[in-house]
Amino acid sequence: MKKTVEEQMRALLTKYAYPPVEVVIPILEKTGRGEEELASQLHEIDMSVLSGIMKILNLKEKNMRTVSKMFGVILSFYGQKYEPVELSENRFYLSVSDCPMLHVGKNVNTAVKSKFCDVFCSSTAKVMAQLVLGKEGSCSWDKALIKGGRKCTVAFELVKTK
Amino acid sequence: MNHSRKVLIVILVGTFLVASFLAWRNITSSIDFADLRIVLTTTTAAFGSLLGIITAGLMFTHGKFSELASELGEKSLEYLSGTLSLEKVQIIGNNLLALRKTFSLLETQTTVEVEKNLYRRVVEKTSSIYVNLAVLSDLKIQQGLAESDLMISAMDPQLYVNYKEERSRVKKEWQILVTIKQIVDTWEGSKTLVPEKYEKRTSLQQDLRNSISLLGLKERLGKDSKHVRAETEEICNELAEDIDKIGKQLHQDRIPQLLSQMENANTIRGKYFYFALAFIATPLFINLLVLPQLSIGTASFFQPIISITSSLSVMGIAFLLLYINRILDV
Repeated sequence: MKKTVEEQMRALLTKYAYPPVEVVIPILEKTGRGEEELASQLHEIDMSVLSGIMKILNLKEKNMRTVSKMFGVILSFYGQKYEPVELSENRFYLSVSDCPMLHVGKNVNTAVKSKFCDVFCSSTAKVMAQLVLGKEGSCSWDKALIKGGRKCTVAFELVKTK
Repeated sequence: MNHSRKVLIVILVGTFLVASFLAWRNITSSIDFADLRIVLTTTTAAFGSLLGIITAGLMFTHGKFSELASELGEKSLEYLSGTLSLEKVQIIGNNLLALRKTFSLLETQTTVEVEKNLYRRVVEKTSSIYVNLAVLSDLKIQQGLAESDLMISAMDPQLYVNYKEERSRVKKEWQILVTIKQIVDTWEGSKTLVPEKYEKRTSLQQDLRNSISLLGLKERLGKDSKHVRAETEEICNELAEDIDKIGKQLHQDRIPQLLSQMENANTIRGKYFYFALAFIATPLFINLLVLPQLSIGTASFFQPIISITSSLSVMGIAFLLLYINRILDV
């Protein structure tokens, strides 16, 4: 029997699970190494997940709309509340009000959380840009949630080449 | 909250206020004994009719309950003999025991608390599913669908205690499906696209996938053998295939919905009915049997009690309305 889109999506995101941040960070903090290995693992997972989503949803257009759809699917699956702020040809802004990093133990300091936030987010951002936007795409995030804010803004932009 | 619920709550609060007001008025003003008797006869006749309605309601709810129990009972036997073949139960059981052993060992090897908790959750959930399967296996033997139970012999003392406890809960045929649903729920968690929220209980599948991912990272760091991760992943995939099939069947047959209806019918049969009965029957008993025996002087003395019992009867009607509303929902 052919699986529905939802079933395929669930199977994909269940198969390629990200290592849980609330467990990984204390382990790597204790070991004092492993960031590179984590980044390399995340890259592999992101490649599988994002290319899988594009295939399942048959997303062929390489633009900001595709980026927004893919973010929607991933964040919904992980139960993260998000809100699209702006969507145009050149940029896509969204704000998230919950982040896995907030569930990391209180004994882990903000600087460590911030460092691992970069490791996780930059991996997804790189792969997203690579698969959907090409080299001109850039992504930034303001880490407001870690700093105690209510929402964190993630921005995808096309870099204008002269 | 839907509209009818809101109306019902308004009625409930309204009747309570009216009853309190009337009771207060009756306490503060005197009533003629003859009038009192007329009031008592009239209210008693009204409450007698209500008792009849309650009985009809109970019969209706019980009928609904029996109908559901019979439907689910038939289905549970189909599951025991078909979907959960002896071979399937044993394969799943062996896989769960293997995972339990691996994760118990991993739990003892780590000193990081959050990691320990993750592995502990896997051990607890695999144990829980194993116990449920052992219950089903025992029921298969009772139904003559299997000859020997290999699952109990593989249990440690703690697992056996849990098994005995779980086994004692399954008394009716339809409860077999509750056990099967527990297995699926422990494995897959929520069925919506949002599988887990951090505050909710995670599913075994999610914990296993997280652990596999973690073992993958540790493998890169050279801290764990590739063998453990590969073996865990293989078992996890096999379990996913087997339990997902059971889960799919369960959802196709609408078992979770039917079980939820059973639960509702059971609650209504018990809680609401007895509440209504207590609130109506007690005042009736006092008004009908006790008060007619009293003299004028004593009746006047007990006037506040008559007011209170009548108020209780009004409360009884409110409970009855709530009861009927819930019956209509089943």
